[in-house]
Amino acid sequence: MRKFVVNRTNKKIEPSKEQINRHKDFARLHHDYERLTKRGKKPLYQDRKLWMLLFIIGLVLFLIFYEGL
Amino acid sequence: MFRRKNTVNLTESEVIQLAKKQQDYFGLLYDKYFELIFRFVFKRLGGNEDLAGDITQQTFMKAMANIEKYEDRGFPFSSWLYRIAQNEVMMYFREQKKHVTVEIEERSVLDLMEEANISTAMSQDEQEQLMAILNGMEQEHLDLIELRFFQTLSFKEIADIYSITEANAKMKIYRILEKLNKKWGESKKDK
Repeated sequence: MRKFVVNRTNKKIEPSKEQINRHKDFARLHHDYERLTKRGKKPLYQDRKLWMLLFIIGLVLFLIFYEGL
Repeated sequence: MFRRKNTVNLTESEVIQLAKKQQDYFGLLYDKYFELIFRFVFKRLGGNEDLAGDITQQTFMKAMANIEKYEDRGFPFSSWLYRIAQNEVMMYFREQKKHVTVEIEERSVLDLMEEANISTAMSQDEQEQLMAILNGMEQEHLDLIELRFFQTLSFKEIADIYSITEANAKMKIYRILEKLNKKWGESKKDK
């Protein structure tokens, strides 16, 4: 929690233009936002096309094996 | 860098509508309000520059993420940003296990005393006692005192942040000042 203390140095608590400009950076904000919100690649186990491919390979192997019997 | 067309003649509400559809337009709002919010956070943190920079970025990040939910209810867009910044600062204070010291200018304390009908002619020790009373008050009350006297926001601006009427903001602040005055009087009697 905060605790107020009196600043007796008579120094104004105001940021300078230089301090403001040092932190003003929309490109960084945009980049951070994209990094946080963009979804990563789909995991392999959730890839329907991969499942279909594996199924077809399995089916072909099964048919070859079945024909060979 | 970003694709922005004919933004010079756009009104603020048009820019907000564009920012809802395309994030790049949020940059216009960022450019316009960054300084205001940075100053606000900087003062609330008693002049901690790096922390103020981080919290201000965090404020705009949240604003960018929630711009779609923003509805114009007649309050300025800045009051919405102030509210987010206020929450971010409070969250930071809550997360700290120990007290965070916030420096305030002596002039602001004198303004507060004057408004609370407390004599401004007091020693530094007495001023410290008053600060101790203030620090012991409810956080919600401190927020209002801070906005009015240490951030020097107008009643209208405070009212906009809290989505209340100006008269209501004024009434709340004067009730807190009465309370402060009463506590100050009691502390004097005890001595």
